[in-house]
Amino acid sequence: MSETTRPPRVERRRMLLEFDSASAAPLTGLVSIALMLVVCNLLAPGFVSFNNIMHIAQLAAFLGIVAIGETLVVLSGGIDLSVAWTMTGAGCVFTQVSQGQSSMLLPALAAALASGLCAGLLNGVGVAKFRISPIIMTLGMNNVMQGATLLYTNGTPSGSVAEAGRFFATGYIGPLSVLVLLWSGLAIIVMGVLRASRGGRQLLGVGENPLVSFLSGVRNDRVLIVVYALSGLAAALAGVLYASHSGASFLGMGDQFVLPSIAAVVIGGGSIYGGRGGYGGAIIGAIFLTVLTTLLAIVNVSAGVRDIIYGGVIIAALLLTRLTQGAAS
Amino acid sequence: MMRWLAEARNLEASGSVGIFAFLFAVYIVLKGGHYSLFEAGNLATNVLPLVLVGLAQYFVVLVRGVDLSLGPIMSVSGSLAVVLFPFGVAPAIAAVLAAGLIAGCLNGLLIARFKLSPIVVTLATMSVWDGVALVVLPVPGGEVPAGLQAALTSGSTLLPTSLALLVASGLFGLWVMTTRFGLQLRAIGGDEAAAEASGIIVMELRLRAYGLAGLLAALAGVYFAISTMAGSPIVGDGYILPSIGAVVLGGVPLVGGRGSPIGVVMGALILTIVGSLLYFADLSDFYQSLIDGVILIAAVGSVAVRDWVWKAMGR
Repeated sequence: MSETTRPPRVERRRMLLEFDSASAAPLTGLVSIALMLVVCNLLAPGFVSFNNIMHIAQLAAFLGIVAIGETLVVLSGGIDLSVAWTMTGAGCVFTQVSQGQSSMLLPALAAALASGLCAGLLNGVGVAKFRISPIIMTLGMNNVMQGATLLYTNGTPSGSVAEAGRFFATGYIGPLSVLVLLWSGLAIIVMGVLRASRGGRQLLGVGENPLVSFLSGVRNDRVLIVVYALSGLAAALAGVLYASHSGASFLGMGDQFVLPSIAAVVIGGGSIYGGRGGYGGAIIGAIFLTVLTTLLAIVNVSAGVRDIIYGGVIIAALLLTRLTQGAAS
Repeated sequence: MMRWLAEARNLEASGSVGIFAFLFAVYIVLKGGHYSLFEAGNLATNVLPLVLVGLAQYFVVLVRGVDLSLGPIMSVSGSLAVVLFPFGVAPAIAAVLAAGLIAGCLNGLLIARFKLSPIVVTLATMSVWDGVALVVLPVPGGEVPAGLQAALTSGSTLLPTSLALLVASGLFGLWVMTTRFGLQLRAIGGDEAAAEASGIIVMELRLRAYGLAGLLAALAGVYFAISTMAGSPIVGDGYILPSIGAVVLGGVPLVGGRGSPIGVVMGALILTIVGSLLYFADLSDFYQSLIDGVILIAAVGSVAVRDWVWKAMGR
C-alpha cells in the first residue's frame, strides 16, 4: 500500500477543501477556547498569563487523564459511567494507606491503582463475557464502588498525602507543572498506541463493526476487557493525583468528572457509537471544559446557574458537532 | 377490557412477580408472620415515586433509549412544587407537570430530531435540571399542606390512598400499552425501519415517549415531596440507578420493544423490599448502594448465564 502513487493535484486540492468534520471539531474547540480566554481576560484583566495558563492546564490534566479511559471505551462503542466512584475509591485508598508517610507512597499508589484496575476488569468481563450493556454494567459498578468506598472508609475518608506525593500533582520543574508534563507524556503514549499499534487498530475495528472485527480474527472480548481495565486504571490514577492535589481525599470527589469526561470525548469529535475519533480531540475537549469552568468561576454565578450553563454549553457543542457532521455528509 | 387482560396475561412480567412474591414472603416471615393494611400502605407510599419514575424510564427504554435526567427532573418538580404550593395546590401541580413535560420533550427533541445519543444528551440535561433545582430551592425544605400529605399517603383505614395510587399507576401503564400509542412504541423498539415503513412517524413518537417520561418523573417528584412533607433539590440523584434497576428487574430488555409495565412495578417493589430486608439483616446503610449495584448487574448478567446453561444442556 505504501507504493500507491500520490493523488493528482486536482484531487489533492479537493481533499484539502473538503470540509472534514472530524478535523473541524477540534478546530472549533480551539477557537472557542481562545474566545473564552479573551472573555476571561476582559473580565479579569491580566488573567491570561503564562502561570495562569499553566494552572488551567494543571486543572485540565485530571479531566484529561479520566478522559483517556473514556476515549478508549467510547472508541470500542461503549461508555464508562463508573469513573466517579472508581476515582473516589482510589483516592480514598491512596490517602488511607499512605497516611501522610512518604515511605508508604508506593504501596499506597499500587493499592489505589489495583482498586481501579479491579473495577475496570469487572466492567470488561461483564460487558465482554456476560453481554451486559455498558450503561448497566458501569452504572451498577459505580454503585458497587460507592458502597465499597463507604464501607472501607466507614463514611469518613482519613489520611493525607506526603509532600513527595504532592509534588506530582502540584510541583513545578522550572516553569512547567509536573502534572502537565505527566499528562503530556501519557497523551503521547495513548495517541501513539491508538495510531500505530496493532491493539489500537483492533480497538477501532471493534468499535466500527464488531462482527467484521471478529471474523477477521480479532478476539473482541479481550480487546473490550483490556479497554475497560485501562479506563478503571486511568480513573484511579486521576483519583490519586486529585487527592494529592487537594492533600486529602473526600467522598464524592469523582462525581464532577463523569459528564465532562464523556463530553470531552464527544465534543472532541469522537463518535459515541464507536470506531471513530482519537485522544487528540478529547484533550481539546478537556481544556475547553476546564476553561469554561474557570470562566464560570470568574463570572461568580451560583452553583445552580453554573450547572445550567455547563450542561447548556455541552448540549450546544453536541448540536454544533451534529450539524457540521450533517453538512459534511 | 379483553385487550387489558391480554396485556396483563402477557407472561413477560411473570419472573419478576415470582421474585417479588418470594422476597415478600421472606420479609413477612422475618417480621413474625403478620402484615397489616397500614404497613402495606406505608410500603406503597415508599415505593410509589420509584414506580412512577420506573414507568417513565420504561417508556423511554421501549424506544431503545435511556434517560439519566429523570432523577434530576424529579428534583426540579419536587422543589418547584413546595415553592408553588402557597399559591394553591392545583395550580402548583399543573405548573410542575408542565415543567416535567417540557423537560422531557427537550430531551426527546434533541434525541429524536437531532439524532444525538440518549446517554450523552441526558447526562448533559442532568446537569441542567440539577442546576434548575438548586436555583428554585437552594436548600431542602419548603411547605407542603398537611392535609395533602394525609390525603395522599395513609388515607382511610379501609384502603390506604397510596395503595390505591400504586394500583392505579400499574393500570395506567397497562392502559397506555393497549392504546395505539403504546403499540407504536413497541413497534419502534422492535424494528425501527419496519415501523417507519408501516407509516409510524418514528421521530414524533420517540419525542412523545420522552415527553411522557418527563411528565411521569415530575409526578414522582411531586409525590415524593408531598409524602416527605418537604422538597429537596438533590433527591432525584438517588433515583437515577433505581429507575433503570426497576425496568431491568421487571424483565424489560434494554434493546427495546418488549417488556410489561407490570414488570416495572414489580421491579420497583423488589428493590424496595430488598432495602427492608437489609434492615432485618442488620447491615449498615452503606450496603444499600452496593447491593443495588450488584442486583442490577446480576439481573442482566443472569440472562447470559441462563443462555450458557441452555447451550450446555443442548437446548
